[in-house]
Amino acid sequence: MRFVWFWTFWHWSTESFRSAALLRSPLQGIASHWDEWYQHEASESDRQAIDAVGGSVFEQRRFVCWLARHWAREARWRDEQLPGRFVLAQLSRVAPFDKWTAFEKYRSTYATPGIAAIVLNEESAGEAVDVRLVEALALPLDDDAAAGTVVADGFQIDSGDLNTARRAALSLLNGKGFLIFLSLWTLIGERPYPRYLRMLLAAGWIGVVALIVRLLVGPDPGNQLVTLETLLFALWSLLVATSLATAGTLSIKAWLMGREMRKRMETLQLRLRMNGGLSVHGGSAGLAFCLNDLLAAYRSHPRAANRSWLWERFFYKLRGASQTWAATGIISAEGKVDHVVLEPKIRACLRNPTITDVLTPWQGEARQSLIDAAAATTKPVRRTAPSGEMILGFASGARKVRSHRCRHAAQSIIAIGDFASKSQLTANVFALAVTVAMALALPDIRNVLQPPAPPSAVSPGSPSSYYLWVSLDTDRPEAFKAALESGFWSNRRANVIAYGGADGSSRAEMRLSRHRRESTIDEEDGIVWIERRRTFLGREFQPGERVGSYPLSYLTGLRHE
Amino acid sequence: MKRAIDIQSLLEWRQQRAEDEAPRAPSGTRLLKLVQPWWEMWPDRFAESVRRLASIQLSYAYAMTQHPHGHTGHPVAALISREDDEQESPARVLYMNVRDARLRLRFQLAQVPMRDRVFEVTFVSEAGLQPILSAYAELSTDGEYRVDVELPSELAAAWGSLRVTDPMPFRFILRPTPDAN
Repeated sequence: MRFVWFWTFWHWSTESFRSAALLRSPLQGIASHWDEWYQHEASESDRQAIDAVGGSVFEQRRFVCWLARHWAREARWRDEQLPGRFVLAQLSRVAPFDKWTAFEKYRSTYATPGIAAIVLNEESAGEAVDVRLVEALALPLDDDAAAGTVVADGFQIDSGDLNTARRAALSLLNGKGFLIFLSLWTLIGERPYPRYLRMLLAAGWIGVVALIVRLLVGPDPGNQLVTLETLLFALWSLLVATSLATAGTLSIKAWLMGREMRKRMETLQLRLRMNGGLSVHGGSAGLAFCLNDLLAAYRSHPRAANRSWLWERFFYKLRGASQTWAATGIISAEGKVDHVVLEPKIRACLRNPTITDVLTPWQGEARQSLIDAAAATTKPVRRTAPSGEMILGFASGARKVRSHRCRHAAQSIIAIGDFASKSQLTANVFALAVTVAMALALPDIRNVLQPPAPPSAVSPGSPSSYYLWVSLDTDRPEAFKAALESGFWSNRRANVIAYGGADGSSRAEMRLSRHRRESTIDEEDGIVWIERRRTFLGREFQPGERVGSYPLSYLTGLRHE
Repeated sequence: MKRAIDIQSLLEWRQQRAEDEAPRAPSGTRLLKLVQPWWEMWPDRFAESVRRLASIQLSYAYAMTQHPHGHTGHPVAALISREDDEQESPARVLYMNVRDARLRLRFQLAQVPMRDRVFEVTFVSEAGLQPILSAYAELSTDGEYRVDVELPSELAAAWGSLRVTDPMPFRFILRPTPDAN
């Protein structure tokens, strides 16, 4: 077995921790524990083996590869796989690794880049170097209760600021922030429909509108009304059900996944690294820290997010954005993004050649038009190639830095995840308008597709002999009309309406006036027909079937009872 | 003409000369004074430091929103005694191992800029506030100080079963010492 001495050390460290000789866990205190073991506990043969590895750069590299690829997977701590890069970074500072060439690159980085923070140097007017790379890493939380839940590496900051950013990240995963994110996504967010389904849905909504227009302004459909309204209702229901099912399923999965990630994040210690030994005053890096906290939590269990399309997409894009995005803004524990001094920070982004997108608070200075104008007059600093590395040269015109203004951190998730879709927003507004129209038309459609039972004529009759009241025992009066056919009285039609008051009832009221050319002298002559009323959004169609008839004498007699 | 000198005579001549040039050996009194611990050399200063050390009251208190998830150990009262001022700073014992009558200990000071690479650490008993041990602590990684010292047999027996999570039976007086390196 190669590098058995490292296993010996790890065993000593874990056992010493279990026997309470060490206060910090083997992972959190690995550099200190190694130092102790190497100085006092390692045997002569262990030292010789270590020296043998250290004597050759090739062997050093083999050790680094072995540690990252094999040891980190096998030596689990608290049932968690160990973060190899963190271990390498920690060990790179202690003897003998601090002299090993293969550890060189781990001395200043975890190689886990995140969203850059814009932290201005004292009296800086906004320089490229003010855009600071932030690295984020999550470790299992130490048993040592005094250990912070968020640790700043390479810079100093009030721990309250880091904890606020962490709480905002927790809220975004499963809390008020998540609900805001979900609402925004529901309104403007892209859906994972395949292309053919997207086309079908668009065609469906257009079909619904066509049917509504046909019913509103087309010729009276007569007997086809039932068919048309059935088709309309079925199509609309199918589309709404598809939209709700898609949004609902994705939301529930995201909520469950977010809840799981939140629980996991609460058991993690987040380490944020920003080189340069800065002492950060003010909370304007809060938004960047919050997003990097999310990234660190994701990196600790990348497969966990795969069960939710929303989270998977966001984290995939966040990982990609980590090289080119910067963020600034004071964040509250609820995720609200507060104003900061913005002008020099925008200038710093424009001068930094790697930054393409910047997340800012909702401030006028961050309007895209202003940034474009500033970009035309700001010269970016040329990127220098470290140690002969090849860099791409762009022969394009003015550099474009896109601004994403946020009132809430949830908007930054929308921006980074590239969820915002104009076509989806248009479709949603369109669908919402159609749905409002359908909601207004639903009582009419119901009266056609699910007509109420035929009603009976009941009292009260009209107290006046100049009026005829046709009172019906129905709870859906709008579905009926009454038609008077008489040789003595003028023929009339009236809608059944619900009246309140002392004589309250659902009735049709008709003023009785004599025919100009009556065919009879019998005042009681006449029949009142009860017809089904057919309407759609205020348009009145030809009446439907007749469901009852009453002699006029019967109805006029009701008033005397 | 050169005179022949044998090597034995040459060595004797060189030794004689070295003895003549060497500083005088310190007296017994001087030697006793050199090995005297600082608290015996400056008892007033020690008494003052102990008074201040005794007045330090330390314990972790939790005002957390969540239940503490593990142990923290117990803070050790420490007093950094410089020429011009004294500074209180709780210390956390991170590692403690007593084996073969040697104490290996690592501790970390809170809220003190790490400008001193070596401290002379005086262990003052918690119970009687008497000096019980003196050792050097060197700055190691992550701002930790490391102590490696031989223990008197009675201390080795008493501290053998101590764990980092136990309350420590001592307090520290730390005196910055010029770095030997």
